[in-house]
Amino acid sequence: MATTTATVTISSTDLLTDELSLSTSATLTGAGNSTGLTGTSGLGRKTTATVAPYTLFHADDYSTDRAHKLYIKNTSTNAAYYYDIGIGVIGNNNTLGRVYAGDWALIPWSASGGTKEVFTITLSGTWATADTLAFDGVTISPTNTAHADTAAVIRATYYPNWVVTGSGSNAIFTARRARADQEIDTSEWTLVDAGGSDAAIAVATTTEGLADPKNIIITPGGSSTNSVTLEYMLLSDD
Amino acid sequence: MATTTASLTIDSSDLVGDALSLSTSNTLYKAGTTTGLEQTTGMASLYLTATTQIDLFPVLPASPAGAGKQSWVYICNKATDETHYVRITIADSVIGDLYGGDFMWMPWSQQAQHADIELAPSAAAAAAGVFVEFTCIHEGITYPTEADS
Repeated sequence: MATTTATVTISSTDLLTDELSLSTSATLTGAGNSTGLTGTSGLGRKTTATVAPYTLFHADDYSTDRAHKLYIKNTSTNAAYYYDIGIGVIGNNNTLGRVYAGDWALIPWSASGGTKEVFTITLSGTWATADTLAFDGVTISPTNTAHADTAAVIRATYYPNWVVTGSGSNAIFTARRARADQEIDTSEWTLVDAGGSDAAIAVATTTEGLADPKNIIITPGGSSTNSVTLEYMLLSDD
Repeated sequence: MATTTASLTIDSSDLVGDALSLSTSNTLYKAGTTTGLEQTTGMASLYLTATTQIDLFPVLPASPAGAGKQSWVYICNKATDETHYVRITIADSVIGDLYGGDFMWMPWSQQAQHADIELAPSAAAAAAGVFVEFTCIHEGITYPTEADS
């Protein structure tokens, strides 16, 4: 395990009559344990020159309700340039606050995942080894005529946007990320029945995806044309 | 104006192959200016023994004094048991959990009636009792008007 220490110091000699001098250190550990965090995105920077919001981190890429910590800093030197930090999705997020030039924040993040689309594909008809089936940019071919074996090939294949489970002659697809715009039916699949033997599939949706994950949303502001750079690092509990 | 500085260091010799030694500091200014923030709630310390979610600061009214202005929030879970966490939410949306010893420092956009910062101890933390420290350094907060009569 790694040992990572974060220390915050807040000080002022004239905010109050008495001097303010607060200092707190924390060793960053996993949720409910004393094991040091081992995951990190690394320290990164993103420069923008528009006010278009973007997703800095997708909640579905991380485990929910862990001890993730997010560091963010606005590296601008122009006092008017800022970033709004939000939790949710683009177009529907709760703004936590605004970091102006030079400001930084250290925030715990629950990374609450959203509702992912789930559908099941079932094979029917007669399949031949010359047939092909394409979905999500991936094409598979049966190794024989058995439905269960072809379904096994489907399940064993990597899909960029889906995770596949299931058994027998079906395959259950679960979206990697929660979205509301994935409505999968047979039209999204390309079946080439080269064998001319009535190979067929059926697609049944079991869960409708929703755009409800608690992503980290960044919205630049103060200038729609000048470059502003955000520095960030996620210390993840995965 | 006051000069208040917030500094952060994050250090690790073994998180990645190269040593991590991040250090940053900023002066707390009013929104979009270089004028220092002058108001604070003061540092509060609460001992909580229930899982009830509470508002850390006065409930935001329809027209918060801090709307469109800058506020900074510090929260620290003073529990020494790493399993005892407090859940931080904003407008009922979970931000994250602070486990024993964890702290957070974040800007806060006070928006009308929908951006209250809430805290709820976990069941274990509440059962054992948990101290939480918090403060807000800000440009304005609306306090409830007197309602004795």
